[in-house]
Amino acid sequence: MTGSGTTAVGEGTLKGGGAPPSRAPSKPLRSPWTAVIAVAVLLIALFPVLSDDLYYQNMIILAMVFAVGAVGLNIITGYAGYISLGQGAFIGLGAYTVGICVSDIGGSPWVWVPVAGLLAGLVAAFLGLVAMRARGHAFVILTIAFLFLMQLLATNWDELTNGTGGITLPIPTWSVEYQYWPFYYTLMGLLAVSLLVSWWIRRNKFGMGLIAIREDEDKAATVGVSTPTYKILAFVASAVFVGMAGGVYGYYISFIDPLGMFNILLSVQIILSLLLGGRDTLWGPVLGAFIIEWLNETSNNEFQGGNARLLIFGGLLVLVVIFLPRGIIPTANRWIEWWRTRGKAGLAGERLTGIDLHARATPVREAPEPSGRPLLEVKGLEKRFGGVHAVDGASFTVAEGSITALIGPNGSGKTTVFNLIGGTMAPQAGEVWFDGRRIDGKPPWQRAHLGLGRTFQITRLFREMTVLENVVAPLQGFHLGLLNANAVSGREAKRAEELLEFVGMRKYRDVPAAALSYGQQKLVELAQILMLDPKLIMLDEPAGGINPTLIDRIGEMIRELNAQGKTFLIVEHNMPFVLGLCNPVLVLARGRTIATGTPDEIQRDPDVLDAYLGEDFRLEQPVGT
Amino acid sequence: MRKLRWLVLALLAMAVLAAVGCGDDDDGGGGGGGGEASGEPIKVGASLPLTGEFAEPGKAARQGYQVWEAMVNEKGGLIDGRPVQMVIKDDQSNQNTIVADYNALISRDRVDLLLGTFSSLLNLPASAVAERNRMLYVEPAGGAPELFDRDFRYLFFAQQATADHQGDLWAEWVTQLPEDQRPKTAAYPTLDDPFAQPTSEGIEAKLKKAGVRTVYRETYTIDNPNLDGIASALKSRNPDVVVHGATFEDGVGMVRALRKAGFTPKILYQTSAPSFGDQYSGALGKQTTEGIFYGVSHSKEADTPGNKEFVAKYREMFGGQEVPEDAADAYATAQVLQAAVKGVGTIERERQLELADWLRENEVDTILGPLSWDDAGRPQGEFLVGQWQSGVPEIILPEAAATTDEIIPEWRPEGAG
Amino acid sequence: MTEFLQALILGLLIGGVYALLASGLTLIFGVMNVINIAHGAFLILAAFVTWSLWRAVGIDPLAAIILLTPLMFAFGWLIYNATVRPIRKAPAAASVLLTFGLALLLEGIMGVIWGNTSHSVRPEYFTESFQIGELFLPKGQVYGGLVAIVVLASLYLVLTRSWLGRAIRASAVNPQGAELVGVNAASVAALTFAIGVASAGAGGAIASVLYPFLPGSHYQWIARLLGIIVLGGMGSLPGAVIGALCLGVAELMTVTYIGPEWATGVPYVFVFIVLLLRPQGILGTRLRQDVATT
Repeated sequence: MTGSGTTAVGEGTLKGGGAPPSRAPSKPLRSPWTAVIAVAVLLIALFPVLSDDLYYQNMIILAMVFAVGAVGLNIITGYAGYISLGQGAFIGLGAYTVGICVSDIGGSPWVWVPVAGLLAGLVAAFLGLVAMRARGHAFVILTIAFLFLMQLLATNWDELTNGTGGITLPIPTWSVEYQYWPFYYTLMGLLAVSLLVSWWIRRNKFGMGLIAIREDEDKAATVGVSTPTYKILAFVASAVFVGMAGGVYGYYISFIDPLGMFNILLSVQIILSLLLGGRDTLWGPVLGAFIIEWLNETSNNEFQGGNARLLIFGGLLVLVVIFLPRGIIPTANRWIEWWRTRGKAGLAGERLTGIDLHARATPVREAPEPSGRPLLEVKGLEKRFGGVHAVDGASFTVAEGSITALIGPNGSGKTTVFNLIGGTMAPQAGEVWFDGRRIDGKPPWQRAHLGLGRTFQITRLFREMTVLENVVAPLQGFHLGLLNANAVSGREAKRAEELLEFVGMRKYRDVPAAALSYGQQKLVELAQILMLDPKLIMLDEPAGGINPTLIDRIGEMIRELNAQGKTFLIVEHNMPFVLGLCNPVLVLARGRTIATGTPDEIQRDPDVLDAYLGEDFRLEQPVGT
Repeated sequence: MRKLRWLVLALLAMAVLAAVGCGDDDDGGGGGGGGEASGEPIKVGASLPLTGEFAEPGKAARQGYQVWEAMVNEKGGLIDGRPVQMVIKDDQSNQNTIVADYNALISRDRVDLLLGTFSSLLNLPASAVAERNRMLYVEPAGGAPELFDRDFRYLFFAQQATADHQGDLWAEWVTQLPEDQRPKTAAYPTLDDPFAQPTSEGIEAKLKKAGVRTVYRETYTIDNPNLDGIASALKSRNPDVVVHGATFEDGVGMVRALRKAGFTPKILYQTSAPSFGDQYSGALGKQTTEGIFYGVSHSKEADTPGNKEFVAKYREMFGGQEVPEDAADAYATAQVLQAAVKGVGTIERERQLELADWLRENEVDTILGPLSWDDAGRPQGEFLVGQWQSGVPEIILPEAAATTDEIIPEWRPEGAG
Repeated sequence: MTEFLQALILGLLIGGVYALLASGLTLIFGVMNVINIAHGAFLILAAFVTWSLWRAVGIDPLAAIILLTPLMFAFGWLIYNATVRPIRKAPAAASVLLTFGLALLLEGIMGVIWGNTSHSVRPEYFTESFQIGELFLPKGQVYGGLVAIVVLASLYLVLTRSWLGRAIRASAVNPQGAELVGVNAASVAALTFAIGVASAGAGGAIASVLYPFLPGSHYQWIARLLGIIVLGGMGSLPGAVIGALCLGVAELMTVTYIGPEWATGVPYVFVFIVLLLRPQGILGTRLRQDVATT
């Protein structure tokens, strides 16, 4: 939710029309929504006491069930970007758990509600394991298949579930005066807890990782986000409370059967609630759930057509996807933001002057003396795409503490080599050794955890996240405590700020990454890498496409970092930059290394000149070291 | 293109609005024939599946209630001369909706009395709402045994027997056949449905006891019937009798699948489908139906109390020759309610338990015959058994209700052997 | 043994019809990267229209294909331009949600027009079968299968021999490249969608004879089709045919040897197994993942 109004200059005036940053409510008191929400919550909490209208009690109870479902779905769909149409299955699972336990074991249904949540979490973990290799379309199809498979199991596994005959639960044992209060307040409690969890995730490092996965999963992997684990955790988080709500729901309806409990329309209602209210917002799913349920009940009474529900849900889904893809709250926020910032100036780019780097905070820790031993060893790498040999037997080493350059004409395979080293591609043959360990079988995030960081030729930042969030997202190593770290304030955020200070982007900390210029993005990408505290930093054309002053600045930063013990491997086309900064220089042509040496030696090497431009070319001035 | 997009969307929107507007309207005030009865109307509430997968029987049930409403009001009202006013909602064949509907009937519409809905799936949650609010709940079409395993005090089923006993009379007939005519093997393909399955299992239990061996028992779902595969399997097992638990479309489909596969079991029994009269024979051809047995709760020729008037009134209100079984069941349900109210003499909310107790102790004469119940609301009577003979559905058992003496001993789709 | 052969034959016959339906779905995916969840609803709609025609005029459902195909083509083209086209540039997930919404809308409209009870089209020859020894081949299935093959063949001819077909295939492989050589990607997309829906229409007319259907049947159908294209490889036409035959046979085998109630689950099991073991399916190709997509 937008809590802006605290910065002096109107911030975040966007160039490319992205949405305003959906920030965690760090300053809730200033938000215009807070009063509205507080009043609404109070009204709903007091409603059963003030009125004995069963009709509305029923409506609110159902709305809360769907709200819990939507808040849960928000974690996997809103934050992590994986659309799931199987969320209704967890409601059914929860209901069946309670139903089966009550009929087979006995006891009050309330006792079994937490068990329902536990089971839902376990099933979600299992589903996450299965879905690890599935993305986008495949994932949605998988969730649909999962839902229907659950329905089939419930229908056919007679001994356990009584098939289509269903399970009946005992009717409530408390006095009629209290009507449906226990259901009502239990669900309210569940909703409150799931909102709390959602809020917490959104503002800690784990949540940053999820959004990173949504924005650019492959890039997230390269900055240490162990994507399968994150996804499974997200899935579990999205299911646990929904399972519990399902248990309560089953008790409420008092009759649990496969067609009702695993009905795909439950999933549709949940995802519609999420879409309508707004993905990746805290209260959006709740708002959406209440609106949709109200619409549902009203259409029942006004239109009396069983097909009316289908028409309304279907029509709404189509309309929301086409016309309101962001949902109500983000769109409203955008209007509010536009209203607030019209006529105001945007955050101007800071002037680049010669800055003394040493005066800035040096966030990188002291490293031991460079030993000159090989930090990175590449042996006989091969990568083919169809008939094209992009990399054909490349072998080289990068010494610890050096700034090594990797140059070569276009099409020589430099970026492919980076991909192979970084782990975003797998070689057909060859080995990659890093810091004494063989890494060519490891996934990108493990390589990042070992100390390998790389930037991309075309910068890849997480566009919808702010600059600060972008820098907090990288994960140095997988510890639960680290995942739990606050991303908005606290140690991780502080560290990120220091790094941003180092690259000169601190003023932009709350600007969405999509709004930055190319050069600014490069600086932020560098800060991201530094967050990993890497031993080897691989830069893919750091000097490409930016103005000369920034090139110098980057050169200074590289030297500064190198002095603190970081090793660099740089791919570049800008010869003066390379030859003035790097030693040794490796030359790649047609997929293999053809020369290694000092800048002087390389400039004079006939094979190199031949590979680039033929013999006609000579550098005007030999560039000294 | 933009204009086209808007045009099509506008058309779609109009289609949607038209469809929604044409959807069944809330049947708030029903017939309420002002003639004889006068005074403050007694509100009787029910939610029926008027749309959704149970729409056909749901609409028939509504007709039954409406016939009852008209007839009661013509004859001077329900009690104290007060007319009856039916308040009927549409639960769209959906469980969430029916819970909401009955809650609304009880607390918002403040109806005096309740009547039940169609299908065990819907009656299960609805009866729980009624029980919770301590209101009498008599239902026309929910015979699954689970309904009565909950120790409910206010629930009553207004047909002759629960689903698992629907085929009793017929099964007894089979077991009492002379040795040379009695079947040795039986197959039980059935729809996965809380009514068809218990019926099938009830019959199987009785036949097994008499030594008829089960060679096939499988279930299929309504959205994936795969009847050809089943027919092929049946053909290879070659049972003497096939007991098919079905609703309508799959009932017709199975008979056709058997014809396609070229397999004719000696005896064929089906639930539901054959009771649909002309629809059934029209779909299969009269010859194909010859000798098919089925179970049914109502026959329009039966000489049961009030039946003639009911049939006549139904035809007057809704035309046609056929009287759907579900309409008759609904009418009988309302008769039961009426009897209880007359017997105790009250409709007060606080005294509904007396109505329930009265029903437990008394027998009620309905168009389905005399009905009586055990403690849990299970009816204690016998279902009718019918058979198609020469293109006409006849009642053959029990003898008291039979419309013909003849019983054709086998299925003869190609004519008498 | 007879039982096995019988199940095999029934499975192959129905598989042919599945192949026709799945080919439309996989074509749409291949060209536009859109999973058309409404494909099942389109085919049921065609089945209902066929039913109405059969009831009103007595026209044979297989002959009705001649009417249905252009009708569904036009309908598909309209729907594409009204709803799918605006979200062309949106992330892939949007198309899934949109087409799901369309499916619900269609289900609702069909429910209003035709009601929610089972329907089936029962032409005269429906109860007859060809007898080959112990085996019976139901005439409805055989005719349906033959017609499906003919329609599939014509689809194949259009794709390989006509300019439109080449344009479609070019767009599928490389949309930007296709534009550069004069192919209007937007129109091609619309036409592809229309062709896909038209083939669903033809398949629906055939299906109206084979299985009873109601508006809610579209779920089972789309589940089958999704299972087929996931197995065969999303975007591959030959893959769709292979997947369809596999599914048809698997369904019949399940009915015969495991139990009819599990037949519903066969497509889902396919999806799970394929996505676990070989996500690209039998004939699908893995896209080059390294190219940074913005």
